[in-house]
Amino acid sequence: MSLVSEQFLLFAAVLVAAFYLVPKRLQWICLLAASCVFYCTAGWENCIYILITALSAYGAALWMQRLGDRSRAHLKENRESMDKEARKAWKARTTRRRRWILAACLCLNFGLLCVFKYGGFVLGQVNELSLLLGGRGISTVWHLVVPLGISFYTFQTMGYVTDVYWEKCEAQRSFPKLLLFTSFFPQVTQGPISDYRQLAPQLFGEHAYSDHNMTYGFQRMLWGYFKKMVLADRAAPLVQAVFDNYAALPGNNVLLGAFLYSLQIYADFSGYMDIICGLCQMLDIRLAENFQRPYFSKSIAEYWRRWHITLGAWFKTYLYYPIAVSRLSKRLTKWGTRVFGPTFGKTLAASFALVVVWFTTGLWHGANWGYIVWGGINGLFIIVSLWLEPLYEKAKKRLHIREQSFPWRAFVTLRTFFLVTLIKVFPEVGGFRNGVGFWRACFRGWNLRENLLYPFSGKTDVIILSFGVLALFLVSLIQRRSSVREQLAKTPKLLRLVLFVILFFIIVYWGIPMSTKTGGFLYAQF
Amino acid sequence: MDELMEILEEINPDVDYETEDRLIDGKVLDSFSIVTLVSEISDAFDIEISPKYLVPENFNSARAMWAMIQKIQQEE
Repeated sequence: MSLVSEQFLLFAAVLVAAFYLVPKRLQWICLLAASCVFYCTAGWENCIYILITALSAYGAALWMQRLGDRSRAHLKENRESMDKEARKAWKARTTRRRRWILAACLCLNFGLLCVFKYGGFVLGQVNELSLLLGGRGISTVWHLVVPLGISFYTFQTMGYVTDVYWEKCEAQRSFPKLLLFTSFFPQVTQGPISDYRQLAPQLFGEHAYSDHNMTYGFQRMLWGYFKKMVLADRAAPLVQAVFDNYAALPGNNVLLGAFLYSLQIYADFSGYMDIICGLCQMLDIRLAENFQRPYFSKSIAEYWRRWHITLGAWFKTYLYYPIAVSRLSKRLTKWGTRVFGPTFGKTLAASFALVVVWFTTGLWHGANWGYIVWGGINGLFIIVSLWLEPLYEKAKKRLHIREQSFPWRAFVTLRTFFLVTLIKVFPEVGGFRNGVGFWRACFRGWNLRENLLYPFSGKTDVIILSFGVLALFLVSLIQRRSSVREQLAKTPKLLRLVLFVILFFIIVYWGIPMSTKTGGFLYAQF
Repeated sequence: MDELMEILEEINPDVDYETEDRLIDGKVLDSFSIVTLVSEISDAFDIEISPKYLVPENFNSARAMWAMIQKIQQEE
């Protein structure tokens, strides 16, 4: 069920009504029923995989919890009879058993993810390698359909299982409740990837109706639909035209296409987030935010702390830190400090962890070399910045650059936006060689007299997109100080009403026709 | 506690660690500083800081870090 459809609006309206009509202790069942209906509309055959994930996570977490509880009880009972060494050995034995359970659960679920997402890619690579070595090649036919939201729900649920292993949270004793956490419909297709401790109390708690939540939630949904239907879907054909014909287009049009792609992907993904966060606010549930004005970042590392925040946080918690503080990384740091000195040596553990994180981030986004290159370039920028930071600081001091001055902040913000825009094109054009070809195409044969993109898009579209960008920019400026909806709430009621009626008609008049032509959300493919 | 303060001063000398209690939430320490800090603390106090302790609550202030070190020492 597409979020941009009449069925979804009807579904959401029925859910909100039912949610506040049923007794409060049954509200979570209402959410579970809605999630099951939503997921089943994407195809019954997919349900088996999400059930496997929920069941394995439920069993593994509960088993680890019981082992931990029993171990603690045993140690308490035998406090006097066990010496320090015996207690240590007992704890180590329990940890080992718990680690095996965690490993089995992670292998099963990430294994499933790999089979569905990367099976075809791996077969293709093996085939190419075989042909290269003079072999006969193998069949690369791969017919498995990737289950809806598998990347998102696998990461979220495996985060929960790991948290239980780390004893950050207690295992959920009710399977239907864990199934709701795994399949909660607003976030199952595109995230956010939520932390169990943040989301679970809200999903299973009781919620009272409030006009404030209804109004604010509805306003946010409307803004999300504007971003998705009016801006992202309007930019889509222009962007597609540029990616398909960049070798033949003048450089200024190619560059414009790259900037429009940055607009499209932001409006598309953050528009989705606004729609589902708005709906959840109507249900008195606050989802974790995925965006914090990312195009105002001053470095690529900062950009990644403000774009798809929950994915970054997941990688930081469950991959970056475990690798960076591992014994192997410690040995690497000691070796690096001895050979290269403390300044560079201390960055080695973090650099090693970042290489793994960025390779995985690339793979997570898609099973092709374009995404691997894209992840690699992002990682390279972040790692090299880490290494060069001492030199960078010295240079800034020598040149008397004031970091807080407006010209400097504007320069580093524009530089970062420009870089992330150029890096984003790699997966879209299919890899490193084409990406470099696209970069070259941006800077050759500029023709400012005629706009060759008009055949792909009318003048009205260009005007709407320009005003849309201006609106996004102004909203971002206001968000730096406070919530836009809080600011709007201070204005006269009539003015607010007029503003939202205008927004509604803009969506109906200029959004719906574009959206029916363009189709789904970009991040749903991940 | 003095040893911990020395480690923190080395990582960022411009912070008042006696009073600062938003080292992570206020973005005073980033993920790279945390990794360096964990390595230094592990060596100085001869403890193993597992990833489960790497949460903002344990690194937001020098006092919280000290409490975490004592907890790990007790557990070990």
